[in-house]
Amino acid sequence: MKKFLKPIEPFLDKGLNIAESFIHTHRTAHFLFGGLFDAFDGLLRSPKETTQTLPFIRNNYDVKRFMGAVLVALVGGWVLPAMYLFGWQCVIPKLLISFIAGTFIVDVLWVIIAREDHISEGGFVTCLFIPAILPPQAPLWLVGLGAALAILFRNILGGVGNNLVNPALFSRLFLTICFPAFLVTGYQMPLAGMQGTYAGLDAVTHATPFTAFKTNGEIPSYLSLLLGTETGSLGETCRLALIISGLWLMKIKVANWRIPVSYLGSVFVLSVFFSLIMGKTVAPPLFQLLSGGLIFGAFFMATDPITTTYNQTAKWIFGAGCGFVTVLIRDFTTLPEGVMYSILLMNLLAIPIQSLMVKIRYRL
Amino acid sequence: MKKETMGFKGGFHLLDAYPLSVCNIIDEISSDSTPETFQFPVFGQKIKHVIVNLCPTEPWALPNWVILKHKTIVFFNMIKEIQKTYFSDARLYLAITEKEDRVVEEARNFAGGEDWIRVFSLSAKYPQDDPVILTKIVLGMDVNFGQDTKPFGILILDPQTISAMHEQGIMRKDVTSRYLALSGTGLRENEIIHVELGTSVEKILKNKVREAVTFRVFINGPLRGKEITDFSQKIDWSVNNIVVLEEKNRKALFPMFKADELAFTTNLIGESRRCVYCNFCDDICPVDLEPALYYHSYVRGEKHKARLYNMGKCIECGLCSFICPSKLELQKIIIECKALGKHE
Ligand code: SF4
Ligand code: SF4
Repeated sequence: MKKFLKPIEPFLDKGLNIAESFIHTHRTAHFLFGGLFDAFDGLLRSPKETTQTLPFIRNNYDVKRFMGAVLVALVGGWVLPAMYLFGWQCVIPKLLISFIAGTFIVDVLWVIIAREDHISEGGFVTCLFIPAILPPQAPLWLVGLGAALAILFRNILGGVGNNLVNPALFSRLFLTICFPAFLVTGYQMPLAGMQGTYAGLDAVTHATPFTAFKTNGEIPSYLSLLLGTETGSLGETCRLALIISGLWLMKIKVANWRIPVSYLGSVFVLSVFFSLIMGKTVAPPLFQLLSGGLIFGAFFMATDPITTTYNQTAKWIFGAGCGFVTVLIRDFTTLPEGVMYSILLMNLLAIPIQSLMVKIRYRL
Repeated sequence: MKKETMGFKGGFHLLDAYPLSVCNIIDEISSDSTPETFQFPVFGQKIKHVIVNLCPTEPWALPNWVILKHKTIVFFNMIKEIQKTYFSDARLYLAITEKEDRVVEEARNFAGGEDWIRVFSLSAKYPQDDPVILTKIVLGMDVNFGQDTKPFGILILDPQTISAMHEQGIMRKDVTSRYLALSGTGLRENEIIHVELGTSVEKILKNKVREAVTFRVFINGPLRGKEITDFSQKIDWSVNNIVVLEEKNRKALFPMFKADELAFTTNLIGESRRCVYCNFCDDICPVDLEPALYYHSYVRGEKHKARLYNMGKCIECGLCSFICPSKLELQKIIIECKALGKHE
């Protein structure tokens, strides 16, 4: 990458400098495009600010690299497997639409209207989430609407760092309420290895494993759940890849290991408990762990640092709470899946949990 | 056998992150006026514990070999003599970095099973050599940051002070110069120099700074030291090292693909954002605090509240600001809030 960029660097640098000085010396240009230029510049170049207070050196790790790691993990965790499983024709347009609607339209408009000084990289992560949590047969306009809503919602709440709940999940909740038909039925069997014969919207839709279990108690093989050859949202099926990239994120400390451990752990423990007292009417533990959006949610959505608690002990409570709500919804309601609701609910509860833990820790 | 990071889960391996090669040149620099002499440390109270800090954790600090000169035994005999002459009932603790196992080995052989001396091999994580952490790990005692340890009967000495004490107290020779480590991206090369006390910084840096670079000068390291702008300032015994960093105050293209270019300069390497709750700051904090809480109180305008979260325990090591990916000035906030407490 370094070698590839080397020859264009001087030109790019010069061009950006010229544009910068032009914009800053012409008032109308500055009024119209100042923010947009700064935002674009911020994506390409590091700022020139230097340290003014102790400590005078800083670690070379910033929010951009933090978000970059999440992007890499998401590409490895769902984009590549989904391209194999559902065909690239199904994945690429959705990604494009999501990025265009989310970052290039809503975020850029927001930068111009609200005079923000940068486009947040967090938007890319959100836009990469949107297609993953929608069914494979979701129409493109639905994906675009979802991404636009997610980014808009995040910006209204004050941008990265102030969002109360996960914007991608909130947008999915909104879509579930408005367009239940698409989100309940748009599931097709993966076309593993058949990319050439993409069947498009004509592909036979099929109930998700959880809906199937709820209607006739049928349980697919665990291996197929792990490898992703079962139905499900676009990004949640290949659990093996998700687990691997999730572990990588935990290793480089971008995702906090406490949340997936407590989330998955509490789902397992509770489902063992309910299976013991209620027998076959509730889903067995391993099936619970490997079905639906649990793995995706636990490794990627619940760990979104801004919407969890800051205190590390509170993170255990947060994860356990997610697990508890998930199992309750799955076992005792008619809803097909509980991961989305559980994470959204715990996102809201994170604030009281955090202040409670701080009070306990510092004896206030 | 290794006694390592007791009660110290955070910290950072600065030595691995910034490997500075120091060449062997020892440059003699004399001051223009009459040099000052080394002040022999005074201790009114009875000293019960003497900790010899042989564990530099900052890459720009003076390395041990400069004083030990690969003749460790000579140095240990010096310590023994000083111990016998000045604090014969005190116990001696040699805190040696794990990176120099040969010195640890020799120290263990030297100490044998004797009761007056103890040898510790400590992890080289920054800020292991901070007085608060050192007393906690070596003696298991709690002292506060900035507090004088002498009333507790604890004296912490660095090897250079030991050798000066020996020379002045036992050999009866005046000590008028000391070793300094000179390093940083603003210099032509990193070196160790031997300067007379009272030499000005300007004279030391002459012909050593790289041409056509803007630079800033820090005394005792960029993490805990202070920046100097007045180069006529004179060197005294408390100066251990001088760091000259390049001031990279221009934009750099594609920073994500070339992290090392900006490292060890004064560039912020990133832009200030809001806190993203990444937990880097509390993972790295050596005394197990949660620095982001101070930031949250501060931005809400509740400075007085920030001090409720054990702020007094903070040893101002600067690691939280160093690691924060949102480039928040956590240490500045801490110092500001602490000062607020003193005025009340
Ligand atoms: S400066 Fe204070 S709060 Fe920050 S890491 Fe060091 S000891 Fe912890
Ligand atoms: S390191 Fe910075 S961004 Fe991360 S939690 Fe601490 S204060 Fe917030």
